[in-house]
Amino acid sequence: MARKLSRRSLATYVSETLLSGTGRAKVVRELAAYLIESGRTKELDLIVRDVNYNLAQKGIVGATLTSAFALEAETKTAIERFIAAHTKASKVSIDTVIEPSVLGGIKIGLPGRELDQTISHQLTVLKTRYKKA
Amino acid sequence: MSLITQFAETAAPQEDIFSALGIDWRLLILQIIAFLVLIFLLGKFVYPWLMKSVDERQANIDAANQAAAKAQAAAEKNNEQVAELLAQARQEAAEIVSTAKLESSEMVATSEKKAKKSAEQIVAEAHAQIGKDVENVRKQLYNDTLELVGLATEKVVGSTLGKKADSELIAKAIKESK
Repeated sequence: MARKLSRRSLATYVSETLLSGTGRAKVVRELAAYLIESGRTKELDLIVRDVNYNLAQKGIVGATLTSAFALEAETKTAIERFIAAHTKASKVSIDTVIEPSVLGGIKIGLPGRELDQTISHQLTVLKTRYKKA
Repeated sequence: MSLITQFAETAAPQEDIFSALGIDWRLLILQIIAFLVLIFLLGKFVYPWLMKSVDERQANIDAANQAAAKAQAAAEKNNEQVAELLAQARQEAAEIVSTAKLESSEMVATSEKKAKKSAEQIVAEAHAQIGKDVENVRKQLYNDTLELVGLATEKVVGSTLGKKADSELIAKAIKESK
């Protein structure tokens, strides 16, 4: 039986494989196979977070954009520039998620931080911050 | 008796003043002697006993009188003591009654004071509770209003916000975040 790899080792392997130019789909399949075989599928989110962190350290930032409507190309570009400026990343990789419940605005998820400018978030802030105890 | 008669018969012939008066001096002398003997006997044997008896009786009477006087004095003294005790008892009773009245009035005053204080405290607590309740209701109303405003905004924005407006909103958010 193979030795159990630590989560950090897995993340390092995945990020280095991605940086070496190996296809993303192949790396994802390998990782998924390993996690299923070793019964560690619950660690997937943590491993993805660690991979994103490692990639960010190398100048490649993966961002998740959540919005109520599909983003226009112009808006996406502006967001990429914004992220690159703030993270000093050489490359920005973007995943978009359409979530009508955010009502409007944008939520940018970056490794280790998040910028939430959605209307639903602002309404939540309004309801919680100004609520009297 | 026969001797006396004999003397009387022998003396009868002598006529003197005693005879003239019908007095037989011998008989008189005998009578005197007999009387003296009688007196002597009485004085020797009867009077002392009689006097002793009388003296004893007198002594008893005197003793009884003294005892009665003592008893009367004691009774008078007792009456005085009883009267004094009664007066003292009346005075003490009057003092007790006045003290009881004073204490009862003080107790009533204290009770009234306590009741007044308690009532004031109850009123103050009620005011404070009402104030708290009003404040809580205001807070609840404020929070409910806030919640309603949020819900209404969600509904309005969800139904009116279009893709174009959303793009403008995002551009503005990015601009503000720079």
